[in-house]
Amino acid sequence: MALSKIDVANMLTGATPVANGGTALTSGFVNGVSGLGAEVDSWRISSDFTNAASPITTWERVDTSFDKIGTGLTHSSGIFTFPSTGKYFISGWLVGDLSGSSRYNQFVLQHTPDNSTYTTRAISDSLVIQVSSAEGSWNCALNYFVDIESTTNDKIRFLFSTANSSTRVFGNTNTSYSGFTCIKLGAT
Amino acid sequence: MIRGRPSHIEDALCRMYGNQWFMWTDSKNKIYANLRLSPKVGVNEKIVDNPVTELPTETAVNAKLKEMQDAWDAANGG
Repeated sequence: MALSKIDVANMLTGATPVANGGTALTSGFVNGVSGLGAEVDSWRISSDFTNAASPITTWERVDTSFDKIGTGLTHSSGIFTFPSTGKYFISGWLVGDLSGSSRYNQFVLQHTPDNSTYTTRAISDSLVIQVSSAEGSWNCALNYFVDIESTTNDKIRFLFSTANSSTRVFGNTNTSYSGFTCIKLGAT
Repeated sequence: MIRGRPSHIEDALCRMYGNQWFMWTDSKNKIYANLRLSPKVGVNEKIVDNPVTELPTETAVNAKLKEMQDAWDAANGG
């Protein structure tokens, strides 16, 4: 007797192809909305500022050649809330200049697990030594993985401090001189 | 990177006061008419009222930009 259908799901040990009624996923992977890249967001500082900003409050979502994937982060007064629980990768950077010297230009990422007490989780620091009357440039960059277990209580914010009050951080609405990206990697 | 000669009122604004004391109603159109005071700023890890309570006049902003341009020109053989 000839077979008109084969029960693929019961004959394979790995993933069952979508065309044969499976998900094409093997154990350990998640599908669609909760998986890698289901949330991709990018924010930047929209205007220049000098001296410290702790936390940095003037952010805008990148809207040139980019649109967020998923729901995106929510921002209020420098504090970012995540759209869903899960593990996220965050990469931030600052670029600026200074006519003078500064012992430190410090970019900080802080996280709170209780919507109250923030703890520093990543720091990047740079030194500016004046070598001419013209401005010298500086930059900071940091990366961090964070596990968001609660969309109500887990939040992040960024701080900038400097030893020279004339230190300028570049911000722009068309170019991401200073900003961060956030990518969801998977479930919590 | 170096920006070069100051050319925009934002160059002057961020030299008039520190921190993120100003904002724009339309960040894609940074003209004086769209300039506003930030209601709050971040200081010492807290959000506080903006200590700058009055916008500088357009004349004052333009004068600051001119001062910065003159200084830049003098330093760069202009």
